[in-house]
Amino acid sequence: MAHVGHRVDYLAGFCCPVGGLVAGKPRVLCHENEIYLSNGSEFVYVYDQEGKVLKAVYRCPDQVWHVELLPQPRQLYILCALSGIYCVSLDQQSRLMEQTDGDGQESNCPSGVFPVDSDACIFPDSSLCMFTLLNNFVITLSQAHGKWWMKLHELPHPEQENPPYRQVSEVGFCPGPPPGDEGDAPPSRFLPVLCCASSPGTVGSGEGLWCSGGFVLEEPLFSLLFGIDAAMLESPMILCGFPDGQLCSVPLKALSSSPAVDGCHDVSNQDPPVKILHHLEEPIVFIGALRTERRAADDAEDDQLFGDAGCDCVVAVGHYGKMVAVKADQREEATVPELREYYLRGPILCAACGSGSRMYYSTHSDISAVDLDWVGDSSDPEDAESCAGVLPPVLSPASLSICSVVALSLSSRASEGESELLALSAKGRLMTCGLCSPEDADVELTPAEAGRRIKELLSGIGNTSERVSFLKKAVDQKNRALASLNQVMNVSAALLSSQEGQKPIACTVTANWSCLLLQDTVTISCLLENCSEYSLEEGWTLCVQLLASSCALEEESVDSATTFTFPIDQLLPGNKRELTLPLGSAADTKLDLPLTISCALYYSLRDILGSGSDSSEALDDLLPDDSPILSPDREGICLPLSECTIDMLQCLRFESSPPGPDASPPAAAPPAPPDPVETFLKVSREQTEPEGVKADELPPAPGEENLPPSAASIRVSSELLKNALKTSGSDVPLSCATLRWLLAENAGAEALSGGEVASVRGAAPDGGEVQLLVREVAMSDLSPAGPIQAVEILMESPSLADVCRTHHAVIRRIQTLVLEQAAQGSGPPDLRMQYLRQIQANHEMLLKEARTLRDRPPLGEEGAATAEKLLNIYRQLRNPSLVLL
Amino acid sequence: QEVRQLRGGFRKLLLRMRGLPAALPTLPLELTVLYNSLLFTMGASDSATEGEAEGIHQGLLRVLEACGACGQDLSTEELWQKVLREVTLEELQAPLHRLGALQAAWWLSASRLGSTASLFRLLSNAEDPGRSHCSEGENELLSLLKSWQVPTEQASLPLLQSTEDLKEILCTTAAFLQGLQELEAGNFPTALSLLQEAAGGFCSKRVLAQIYTCLGCCAQRMGKPQTALQHLKRALQVDFQCLPALSHVAAVYHELEETDAELQALALLYEALEEKCPAAASSSPYFLVQTELPVRTPILASLLRHRQPSEVKYLLAQRCLQDGREADAVEHYLDFLALLQEGLQQQVPLDCSSALPRIPEVFLEAASALEQAGRHQDAITMCEEVISRTTDLIPRMLRVEERLEECPSPGAGLVGGLLSQKKESLCCLAWRTAAYLHQGWAWANLGESKEAITQFSRCLGDLLRVQLYGSVVEVTENLLPELEVLQKIRLLSLIGRGAQFLELERHKEALLDFQHGLQILPGDPAAASYLVQALWKLNRKQEAAAHWQKFSQGPPGEDGQQEGQGRAFPLYLVSCLKQAMFPDRHSLARNIQDYLRTTKDPLS
Repeated sequence: MAHVGHRVDYLAGFCCPVGGLVAGKPRVLCHENEIYLSNGSEFVYVYDQEGKVLKAVYRCPDQVWHVELLPQPRQLYILCALSGIYCVSLDQQSRLMEQTDGDGQESNCPSGVFPVDSDACIFPDSSLCMFTLLNNFVITLSQAHGKWWMKLHELPHPEQENPPYRQVSEVGFCPGPPPGDEGDAPPSRFLPVLCCASSPGTVGSGEGLWCSGGFVLEEPLFSLLFGIDAAMLESPMILCGFPDGQLCSVPLKALSSSPAVDGCHDVSNQDPPVKILHHLEEPIVFIGALRTERRAADDAEDDQLFGDAGCDCVVAVGHYGKMVAVKADQREEATVPELREYYLRGPILCAACGSGSRMYYSTHSDISAVDLDWVGDSSDPEDAESCAGVLPPVLSPASLSICSVVALSLSSRASEGESELLALSAKGRLMTCGLCSPEDADVELTPAEAGRRIKELLSGIGNTSERVSFLKKAVDQKNRALASLNQVMNVSAALLSSQEGQKPIACTVTANWSCLLLQDTVTISCLLENCSEYSLEEGWTLCVQLLASSCALEEESVDSATTFTFPIDQLLPGNKRELTLPLGSAADTKLDLPLTISCALYYSLRDILGSGSDSSEALDDLLPDDSPILSPDREGICLPLSECTIDMLQCLRFESSPPGPDASPPAAAPPAPPDPVETFLKVSREQTEPEGVKADELPPAPGEENLPPSAASIRVSSELLKNALKTSGSDVPLSCATLRWLLAENAGAEALSGGEVASVRGAAPDGGEVQLLVREVAMSDLSPAGPIQAVEILMESPSLADVCRTHHAVIRRIQTLVLEQAAQGSGPPDLRMQYLRQIQANHEMLLKEARTLRDRPPLGEEGAATAEKLLNIYRQLRNPSLVLL
Repeated sequence: QEVRQLRGGFRKLLLRMRGLPAALPTLPLELTVLYNSLLFTMGASDSATEGEAEGIHQGLLRVLEACGACGQDLSTEELWQKVLREVTLEELQAPLHRLGALQAAWWLSASRLGSTASLFRLLSNAEDPGRSHCSEGENELLSLLKSWQVPTEQASLPLLQSTEDLKEILCTTAAFLQGLQELEAGNFPTALSLLQEAAGGFCSKRVLAQIYTCLGCCAQRMGKPQTALQHLKRALQVDFQCLPALSHVAAVYHELEETDAELQALALLYEALEEKCPAAASSSPYFLVQTELPVRTPILASLLRHRQPSEVKYLLAQRCLQDGREADAVEHYLDFLALLQEGLQQQVPLDCSSALPRIPEVFLEAASALEQAGRHQDAITMCEEVISRTTDLIPRMLRVEERLEECPSPGAGLVGGLLSQKKESLCCLAWRTAAYLHQGWAWANLGESKEAITQFSRCLGDLLRVQLYGSVVEVTENLLPELEVLQKIRLLSLIGRGAQFLELERHKEALLDFQHGLQILPGDPAAASYLVQALWKLNRKQEAAAHWQKFSQGPPGEDGQQEGQGRAFPLYLVSCLKQAMFPDRHSLARNIQDYLRTTKDPLS
């Protein structure tokens, strides 16, 4: 296909939002020397092409969706989002402007902005989606009550004062599925497209027929498409393209107000006037018509005399590149409409048709022209006739090399006798592109022409440079994306291949106390260490999930997880990064210890596509078809790093100086002066704890401060501990070593390592005080072989919950220790079974009692007593005389 | 404007009151504010919206909240039940009843009669529906409504529209609505009594006229045209803008076959439509909630359908043509065609409820009228238009097969719907051939036999495009009427061509045509008579006499039969049928009789 000769001129730049203009709403209209332009904002610009100046700017109350021009009398009709159609008289305004300051000024600084106020609103209707003009009629399309409504209004004659806009008729219809139930708001992205097709008869009679974007359709096709009634009525037809892809036709002369206004009847067989012509199955962005066959020579002269010839081919273009063309096939005696679908490279932003057989359409990267003129292969006409139709079997688009144009319009300036394409780019630049037909090329150049040619070349260079920068940007972005993907793959491979041993990228979690905002809080610090040979680039995120573990105190409670994410800018090999996150301060939320903390690295694939641009548009560009690959729930890569548990022992806070073995009175430890209000709140909070809390968390009675603190104890045989802790060599007493071992993971307990301490007092995260006491005891009556040396770990706290948490933490540690030792297989010493059985029996009895109490929910007064009893039982259970050997 | 401001004010007030927790002492006030605010909303919008239902629902929930009950997930019906059963506070009764009236208005406008009835059962404390004090045959809802005690107005809480008025409106509406439903269901006596009840009620003139119109329709369907006329007349007396009544009057006269009156009515209707001015808002007592609001049913819409002027014009023309007033018919047809050219202001309804046939048929009827009025040249031009329009729409071969019925859903898309497309092609063919037929007769009447024969031949040539596959009888019923019309056209044009051949003294060709005609429709009296005449002229008198005897032994009253047949065919063919009738049957009969006598005499 021949490259279409063209030259590009920049006319002006208009402001555009960040990320560029989005196709659909911007619009460029041209009449005589003026260009009317809306760029999807609330402004409408009038630009003088001859003087290259901006003549006027109108500011509408809302985003402009559509603009139409009525040349006689010069009026601009503007559809604003969700408010209605406004009518602006251009003559009046230009007069006004001349009075104020003569002519407009250069380009971007308009002399004045004319506000379009609500008085100018001629159709206040928020459900209006689209409209078009036909002579002195306005055809509106709105959406209400699950139907589309097309209404025909007559514009007042200019001589009438204070005009009523008479509604002539209306018709409601719903083509196919109802237009969506998401409120009455129209789908935001795509608006329906309206276009007016007149029958050839109306041309001669109607003086100065005006309908922008409308066309006259030649006879066989008109009757074939719209039926004989419409043809004999010579009724103009409105073609509607809907966002769901349906192409309908409505005869304007037979818009009947159907009686079933309330929609009680089936609509589909109610409205014969509305005909569904085709279903494109994607949003229709353009409807137009083409003249594909040149007429015989004598006819052609007539055409030039009478201006536009009728069109013989209707096209409709969908957003994703599907296009349908309809033409009458007259080769046989029986004329049938031939309908052919084409697939262009989408997404198509806008399109325009001129008087010829070419259609121009714009994608993000280019404007292309397709020619629907199909000259059958003359060498063997029979073959061509038998196999192919009247439409070309394939289209070969010819590039114009103008990228990302969001609004197109064809203007034919009569003076120059050639048509040019008006285009508004996504960056808000208005340009014209002259379209000389291929046969005009290679002419002798006069000096004047040469000068013009140079100018053309220069502007061509300008256009090329913009195109180059666009393409370069695209290539850069793709390179970046590839590089990112590469490093993501490296990191993933490194992490996944080392499942067993130490991971090359590790995250260690520790709990600390720190002072944030004058409040002491427990914080978790995660140390992310990159020991691999790859660096973690931008785009990775560290996700830390806190899971209040269910295995703890509230068995039936649902896990509640919180996830924190930290973006990682860059982490080179060998580097570390520490992140801290607060767990909640002393007086703040209830902290559910133990917490399970899992860390993972996450990489969002969406970011690869460039976060700066409008994401949906970018996706469109990369994946022209609606591909389901990127569903929102799996749009990234997630690599788990580590999981650990934070428990009470790690969160205890100790005074800076190690406390003596004989603890100071409790007054030394409390975190704050006992504010009565706080105490009250705390108590009441504990009282109103949810019912799911089990008996061992029963709220302490209000006066519990005075009660003896709750306590629990565990005994472990010294033998076991010595073996496990390997302290046989050192001279540290076993009790101290045990305490150290218990608090090994507590960062604040380092002070303990110095002295020989067997008892500590610390503050729990919620402010309670916890005392840990480790002592060596001899158990005499267990073994026949003599007393067994054991270590008793005693936990005390006024708060029952704290005791429980500590108990849980200690037991967890000892469990792992015992398991380890069992693996090494040291046999237990001789035991006195009788005694053991006795203890076990005792405990079983206690447990049974507890169960019965628990199964029978206490009532009223009895309740308190029962609770008390339960508490006692649990207390006894928690102090076993057993020893772990 | 003022109304809008007031409405905004009420809404704000209501919102503010809702911000406070519901309390019993303030509830009467709140409910009254709600009532007033809802009145505004209903009055301002011209249809009932969901917002009002929601408002009432909220109000009821507030009542329950104040009483310490809860009814979050109850339907509005259940809520009412609960509220009215459980809330027995004296001060709350009046506002609740008022709110109930509004609810009833809303339900009526949604045609939920059952809900309305049960609400009023609750409001008037009737224990069970069977024992309610309605006598046999009387409508339950109406009696409930009437027996409902309107709460007395309190001076302290002003209302925008008194509950008494609202009750009246509800009564009228309920009667009207139920009457319409009965009318739709076909229970005309019930419908009549209900509508009469409604007409006795309280409503604006506009609605009263509508009710009378419905009464008229009802009477008409019951077969009481005179009563219907009276009702329709009253409708027009009440409100002359009620033009649907006028078109119903025309329909009734049509039924009565009083053509003069019918044409007069139609002409009046047309005039009224032509100078239709924007209806002046003239509702004398301004009520926010009017009877107009609730009654919106499709049947009312179809009864009160406004006809377009073009439609009325066509009816006028058609009736004149049917009645044989050719000159008037021509005038009206030409007027109608002029209307078609007028532009978009003149809407031409083409949907199924319209009186208009397909547009080509209108042209053909016009041609037929012109032809009968003696304007042959004009008729020819008119037909030319139909011929040129249909040129491209008829395939060269139109196969009508038995299997057509298997074609999937008609009317789906451009390519789909083969059946309807085929049917459309058949229609086009019928129009085209009918146009040729008319042209042929027109030329014949102009004395241009050759031209006439050309047209008839074209007609017959086009008719050959249809090819029937399978036996004709089994062809889908969908197509049968069109095929019948085509057969008739073929017969008529054969007769026409034969007659012209006779004129040109080409008797043999004429004979062939008549024979063909008789093959198509054996026993057609016109064709038979022509056949006899052709034979006679060919001097095959014996055959002629034999045929004559055979035909005259056929069923008597052939003319009447033909007349009856003619009615089944489209109006545009009627004139051709008339023209195809054998002109001088009696002289032919006399000739044959003479011949028979002479031939018998020598034999005997």
